[in-house]
Amino acid sequence: MTIRECYDALGGNYDDVMGRLRSERLVQKFVLKFCSDGSFDLLLRSLEEGNVQEAFRAAHTIKGMCQNLSFTRLERSATAITEVLRGGDLAGAAPLLPAVREDYEVTVRAISEFAENVQA
Amino acid sequence: MQKERILIVDDSEMNRSILADMLNDEFECEEAEDGERALGILRTSAGKFSLVLLDIVMPKKDGFDVLAEMNRTGLIEDLPVIMVSAETASAQIERAYELGATDFIMRPFDASIVHRRVVNTIFLYAKQRKLVGIIESQIAEKERSSSMMVDILSHIVEFRNGESGQHILHVRTITDFLLRALIRKTDRYLLTEAEISVIGMASALHDIGKIGIDDKILNKPGKLTDEEFAAMKQHSLIGANMLESLAEHREDPLVKCAYEICRWHHERWDGRGYPDGLKGDEIPISAQIVALADVYDALTSERVYKPPFSPEQAKEMILTGKCGAFNPLLLECLSDEFDRIREMLSKNVSEKAAKREIRNFADAAIHAKGASASERTLKLLDYERMKFNFYAELTEEIQFEYNVPEDFLKMSSWGAKKLGIPQELFHPATNPKLSEQLGENWFSGLGAFLKKMSPARPEFRRECMLAVGGEHRWYDVIMRSIWTDDASPSIESVIGKLVDVHDTHVAMSELKEKSIRDPLTGLLNREGTGEELIRKFEKFPEKKYAVAVFDVDSFKSANDVYGHLFGDKVLCEVSERLVHSTRVHDLCARIGGDEFLIVFEYDADIHPIIARVFRSLCGPVGEFDLTVSMGVVEMTEKGQDFTELFRRADLALYAAKNGGKASYRFYDESLEEE
Repeated sequence: MTIRECYDALGGNYDDVMGRLRSERLVQKFVLKFCSDGSFDLLLRSLEEGNVQEAFRAAHTIKGMCQNLSFTRLERSATAITEVLRGGDLAGAAPLLPAVREDYEVTVRAISEFAENVQA
Repeated sequence: MQKERILIVDDSEMNRSILADMLNDEFECEEAEDGERALGILRTSAGKFSLVLLDIVMPKKDGFDVLAEMNRTGLIEDLPVIMVSAETASAQIERAYELGATDFIMRPFDASIVHRRVVNTIFLYAKQRKLVGIIESQIAEKERSSSMMVDILSHIVEFRNGESGQHILHVRTITDFLLRALIRKTDRYLLTEAEISVIGMASALHDIGKIGIDDKILNKPGKLTDEEFAAMKQHSLIGANMLESLAEHREDPLVKCAYEICRWHHERWDGRGYPDGLKGDEIPISAQIVALADVYDALTSERVYKPPFSPEQAKEMILTGKCGAFNPLLLECLSDEFDRIREMLSKNVSEKAAKREIRNFADAAIHAKGASASERTLKLLDYERMKFNFYAELTEEIQFEYNVPEDFLKMSSWGAKKLGIPQELFHPATNPKLSEQLGENWFSGLGAFLKKMSPARPEFRRECMLAVGGEHRWYDVIMRSIWTDDASPSIESVIGKLVDVHDTHVAMSELKEKSIRDPLTGLLNREGTGEELIRKFEKFPEKKYAVAVFDVDSFKSANDVYGHLFGDKVLCEVSERLVHSTRVHDLCARIGGDEFLIVFEYDADIHPIIARVFRSLCGPVGEFDLTVSMGVVEMTEKGQDFTELFRRADLALYAAKNGGKASYRFYDESLEEE
């Protein structure tokens, strides 16, 4: 799996990220880093604990990373939940979570496949 | 060269490392994972950073908290902050700008935009710091010269007055103490630091009107008559009028303040003073204070008409209203400051004054005055830069500006395009593209050029062969160095341009070449020979030389019989044989119609060489039996005059001709007699 195929699989825009970061090496480096970021776990935990501020921050970080990496699909759902959490609406965030979870899992799966390829 | 250091503040490790990766080549990046950590780093070592890249949403302290704290400590004035955030709400952006952020980069960002903005911001701040420095020193200088003028002027008055010379300094010192005590006590009089310094300086001028008062009255021992006293009282109005007639400076704060003091320093709080009988706070505070200082120092000093009172007596006389009538607030100030004033006046006041002046300079330099002036200067600078860019676009020149301490290179856009590098570049020496374009050694070459310049001769110009874009062409390199203005000047920056002069250069060399050659045979002509010989003799003075002159026998009849075209053919043939029979170090020239010259450079014996060359020159050309006659002279001493050598060779040539042509002859002294 090439990096472009990985982007196709996770619903990202490879041309856009290359246009901005200008280096395949950099893009690959940061894509591989994505899975080790703890923000998604923090989001889940904070929602469970009802800590709306931490939840907002976590969602905001995910959104920021997606923007940097042009992960368009996850960015869309992360942005939606971020805006609801910004307003402090914990109840409003709950129905948006499944979409974020699904998009996150798709993203992580694609990256893991790509990572295996790189190691091989 | 130390790299500029950037602090990257973002809670997402990925975001930080993306930024760091983009900037690592040119900058030293340090990272902080939240606002609290960032503030911690800034508290201990803000000075080592040139820029902060700041995220907004972060745990503990967010970006706005960091900005607010930087505002509180004033750090925001010196350290530029670029916000990097996904926040798109204009209220958030507006708030960041209001808190003093220099720029705002929206996520997701473009590597080249981040790079460009970082470079621009760092460079602008460096420029601004330099400008503020220049302006501060200029203001301090101006302050110093006006303070000096005031001192000179007030001393003239004192000398005429027969006063001790200390009175002016005393009044100024007391004024200063009272002023500071007053602003601590009340905010009734809105006095800025600048106004306080102006009042102090203007206080020295309070009695300048005495210059218009008769000496006899001024220095009269004993009591003045009513008439004399009336004349004496005129000094306050005379002084005020003098200042008012300074049309050009009337609006100057110092002159305005001095006017108030001159005119009203004999007014009384109860309205019974002169010249205008002003009452209470109708009298400007500057004049009130100087009046009190004046009275106090007059009482404690010896005058022609009275002995000195002790400081305590003087204080008592003033506070009880025996001597003058003053603002009660000022009387309180006098009581408060009495000990310090007494102690101060008992010491050498001028020494203190010098120290106080130094402090005043510093105050003035830091003061807002400096900021407004530097804003105007920045605007002017912008204008000049725009003009410069406009003209730079029009010419096809590589224009550059290299800032030595910043190790920063700026190019005209045409130049940058030509060299394929960014317009702005830190650490150009290590830029691979530049080395590729200008050759590996371009920077050390530039260094060698810089060494040739000095503050006295800051300009440098030379035509150089450069391989711009892999093509070797001649460039006119013009540079001017700008030097620091201190005891051991060093180069601060270099401006200059590279102009492609290849075509003109080549055309000029061709023209020059043509002017020293004979067009028919391509040999040197007479002018060229002279130049070449001088160069040769200078370059290899240790060599042996011989000069031979020859012409074609019966050339005139060849011309007559076979025509001029044939004559030309003969000359070309001679030149060809000449070139073939001589060596590269020898010099061959056609110096007249059929007259040729050879300068031989040899090691051992010239005779066999002459014999060989002579033989190869002779031989038929078509039906014409070509022979030559030749005279030869050996150079016997170093640096012998060429004209003399030529004359001797010519003499030998005529001897050969007279001896029956088709022969050669060496010069000897016997020829001189014939």
